[in-house]
Amino acid sequence: MNLTEKMRQEAAQILESKEADLVIGWGGGEYYWQSPPLFLEDAAGAAELAFSPFIVNNLAKYLLEELESHEKAALFVKGCDTRGINRLLQDHRIQREAVLLIGVPCAGLADREKLKAAGYDAGLLQVERQGDSFILTLEGEEGAREVPAGEFLLDKCLECRYPNPLVYDRLLGEEVQKPRERDPMARVREVQKKPVDEKYAYWQEKLSRCIRCYACRNVCPACNCRECIFDQNAPRWVGKANQLSEKQNYNIIRSFHIAGRCIDCGECQRACPMDIPLMEINRKIIQDLTELYGEYEAGIDPTDVPPLGTYRAEDPAGFSER
Amino acid sequence: MSVAKEGFEPLIVAFCCNWCSYAGADLAGTGRMPYPANVRIVRVPCSSRVNPSFVIRAFQRGADGVIVAGCHPGDCHYHSGNFFTRRRLSVLRRLLEYMGIEPERFQVRWISGSEGAKFAQVMTDLTADIRALGPNRKLRDAL
Repeated sequence: MNLTEKMRQEAAQILESKEADLVIGWGGGEYYWQSPPLFLEDAAGAAELAFSPFIVNNLAKYLLEELESHEKAALFVKGCDTRGINRLLQDHRIQREAVLLIGVPCAGLADREKLKAAGYDAGLLQVERQGDSFILTLEGEEGAREVPAGEFLLDKCLECRYPNPLVYDRLLGEEVQKPRERDPMARVREVQKKPVDEKYAYWQEKLSRCIRCYACRNVCPACNCRECIFDQNAPRWVGKANQLSEKQNYNIIRSFHIAGRCIDCGECQRACPMDIPLMEINRKIIQDLTELYGEYEAGIDPTDVPPLGTYRAEDPAGFSER
Repeated sequence: MSVAKEGFEPLIVAFCCNWCSYAGADLAGTGRMPYPANVRIVRVPCSSRVNPSFVIRAFQRGADGVIVAGCHPGDCHYHSGNFFTRRRLSVLRRLLEYMGIEPERFQVRWISGSEGAKFAQVMTDLTADIRALGPNRKLRDAL
């Protein structure tokens, strides 16, 4: 039985037995690269669930809204998604008893942009994972082609440290082994090396694209305040004018608000319609916190204390203490 | 960014904690220790009251430099506020530098209520540093 069948069976059984009154999972889309979130209250809908190498959505954030109208929600989670679950648990935004977590080990997801760049996008009907390969189902005579999966993985999957769920009630399939193939901090160090005015110009070019759709905030499991400061009118922390300074303000403060709490899932960057490398900002903060106050990874243990929520008398300072 | 440096008077916003640094400023005043009038003091209950948004907003509205001054570690009126300030603003300072803001433009210093002379000295040095850097155009609202 493949993972899609297992997902469907699990979801149908949960809804039939009324173990949970909602199942959140991934569905199939019109195109091979789509995997929209699916919200099921009825077992009959379970047949729409689909596992594919494009199940990139972190579904954790949907819990905040859905648990207002449901007793208990079952949720499919990958390794990176479970750090979001831990984030919400640690921030007391969900109760562990109110969620049923179905873990899905993940050996890495496919990047449509990389497939496109290799000329595979047009006429591609389906992508399936098989061991270390992706099986591409193509339109027309060729039928199918096997390509090495490693060449078409999302960058964030190459940098992944947690391919298996950290917290779950049930696990579908076998745990996977997946070594980290790339250093996630490489880009941060590159940007950091630039002279100060070049850094400003670099970020000016990136941030001037921001249309302030707030997709990065909406998708982020760490951005879970009941009322977000960017939505407040009084005081108005960020102006409405369409100008660079407000875009800089928004992006600096957004990343600062998740300082020490960012779970490094990369969803903000994926959701960004303007291709702003937001993880380069988030990871800069992770790097500095590690350098100054010790190794810390958010969303691993919901009972620990994030670095900006505590202090030590002998802490070093990032400024002159003379 | 070609603004003449001649006749440039920097605008510096100083967030001073009520219990130490504001008292230090007061002592500088009563002790007749001069420091540049470029410094505009905003009194806050504790250095940890300084929301990073205050710093960004100051730059948006035309500050050439921002300084946050609080009690020395261990001397906080509220026991631990400045320990949180130290962590938070250390990260903010590095982040602003990463975003391309000269680190000299955003300072954090510990100044106690008895350090009037230090207050005057820190503000004099900061004003000289910012004057040398020239007017800030980064993060600023369009005029």
